[in-house]
Amino acid sequence: MSMLLDWWAAYESTLAFAIVNAFFALSTYAVMATGILSFATVAFAAVGGFLGVQLLAQLGLPLWIVLPGSAVGGCAAALLVSVVFLRLESHWLALASLALILITRILVLNAPALTGGVNGLSVPVEAPFWLLLVLLASVSVGFWRLSVSWYGIAARAVREDPAVAGSLGIAPKTIQLIGFAISGAMGGLGGVLLAMTLQFVSPETYYIPVAFTMIAAVVLGGSYHWTGAIIGALVFTALPQIMQAVVPQVQNVANGLALLLIMIMLPRGLIDPRAWRIRRALRDARR
Amino acid sequence: MAHSPRSARCSPVSDTRPILALTGVAKSFGGVHAVSDISFDIAHGSVAGLMGPNGAGKTTVINLITGLLQHDTGRISLDGADLSGSPPQEIARLGIARTYQNVRLFSGMTSLEQVVAGGFLRRSTSMLASFFGTSSARQAMKRTQDEALALLERVGMADRANVLAEALSYGEQRRIEIARALGSHPKLLLLDEPTAGMNAAESQMIGRLLHELRDGGLSILMVEHNIRLVSDFCDHVAVMNFGRKLTEGTPAACLAHPEVQEAYFGRKRTPPSESESHAQRARAHG
Repeated sequence: MSMLLDWWAAYESTLAFAIVNAFFALSTYAVMATGILSFATVAFAAVGGFLGVQLLAQLGLPLWIVLPGSAVGGCAAALLVSVVFLRLESHWLALASLALILITRILVLNAPALTGGVNGLSVPVEAPFWLLLVLLASVSVGFWRLSVSWYGIAARAVREDPAVAGSLGIAPKTIQLIGFAISGAMGGLGGVLLAMTLQFVSPETYYIPVAFTMIAAVVLGGSYHWTGAIIGALVFTALPQIMQAVVPQVQNVANGLALLLIMIMLPRGLIDPRAWRIRRALRDARR
Repeated sequence: MAHSPRSARCSPVSDTRPILALTGVAKSFGGVHAVSDISFDIAHGSVAGLMGPNGAGKTTVINLITGLLQHDTGRISLDGADLSGSPPQEIARLGIARTYQNVRLFSGMTSLEQVVAGGFLRRSTSMLASFFGTSSARQAMKRTQDEALALLERVGMADRANVLAEALSYGEQRRIEIARALGSHPKLLLLDEPTAGMNAAESQMIGRLLHELRDGGLSILMVEHNIRLVSDFCDHVAVMNFGRKLTEGTPAACLAHPEVQEAYFGRKRTPPSESESHAQRARAHG
């Protein structure tokens, strides 16, 4: 029992960060599931984060208003951005979304009244761990429903071949707009949860490292199933901690090696429904 | 099934109004005239063929009809309604479905899932109801799946319903693609080389399927190289070469047309005329 408590004391914050990263990864997955590579999640997180912190610190609103408020803020930002982004071809969209991260940082630096500018803001409320778990669980139910609904079917068609999807009556841009809206809500929610976990926000909080973490998590976990984003975030956040505990001398080397091995052995990520189906078909054929 | 076989087999062309009319349609890519001044009609409830050598512009015509490309001049109308400027999803909604020359199935989906995706327009439930899984949405999804299975049965692929489509043979994939196109219950089905990569027996099976569908009221336009298939199963044929229409009419008349023969088999070598050979001989002697 005491061992369990020790373990918990050591890893609680790691798990909390893993869950926050899962929100960012799910946000990235939401657009990737419609065939778009976008780093804009970081900007949605900044909108949700600073909005949430202002609602908490200045207005003293309760969490049940602040959390949905941040999600709505992120969603609104995403809808605004997607009006421009959805006019771009895939590679240009990815580049534009990277540019958006840089623009966001400059805006954050130059609006000290809202964001605290260079000095940042401290966050008076900490996110309890159970709340993170409950939120992740309910968001997971949402993603499960999406994946089995007509939206999920349409999104898969658009991702695999937008032209063919169009000729089946599926409007690719509409599906991608919905994808961006979901991505914005997840990003905004993740943004405020990151602020509440760190208890401090600054222009550096929502910057390039978050983009790398979330993309790596989705690629590692698998971008063809929503659970891939969650598992990827968990592994990518926990791996450095575990390596530090097990092989502290060669922590970074072991870390990189583990990631390399996963990518070589499982190029489509840890969670890959297509590979399961092929394996099942082979098993059936052998019988 | 909307396309239940009808008894009137002997008169395939039941309606004289065309379902699809192309009038003076042209499309250029830069300086290349891929399609110039093409006009032809497809009669209601008929199987029409579009023939021509490679690069004649047949697939471009299909892409223009389905809105994947926009034509420069001319008019394309479905049941009298102009399709110009409509995006592909709108044209699909109006009742045109298609298959592709180089089969384009969705990677990672089973045969059944492909055909279910084809039923998107007939889902009879909102995306929101489907997200919340209301009982009516669940029933509607069940109906779509049952229909998809019936369509797979129709193309003879019901036993491969749960197989990943990319694991199937090329001919089988083509049949899945036809089932997916039928999933939206179209009025007009466009097939781009439906029997490429199939053997004679499979081709005949596709031909018979097309006649069954036609007798159920569907109109069909197929781009095809297989002359046997065209002459056996098409009611009406248009032949293209270098982006222009050479001729149209019954399959037999088209195939006998000298310009069509030339386009497919090259110019016939004509023996030199008497005066020419005379002159040649004179030169040889002189």
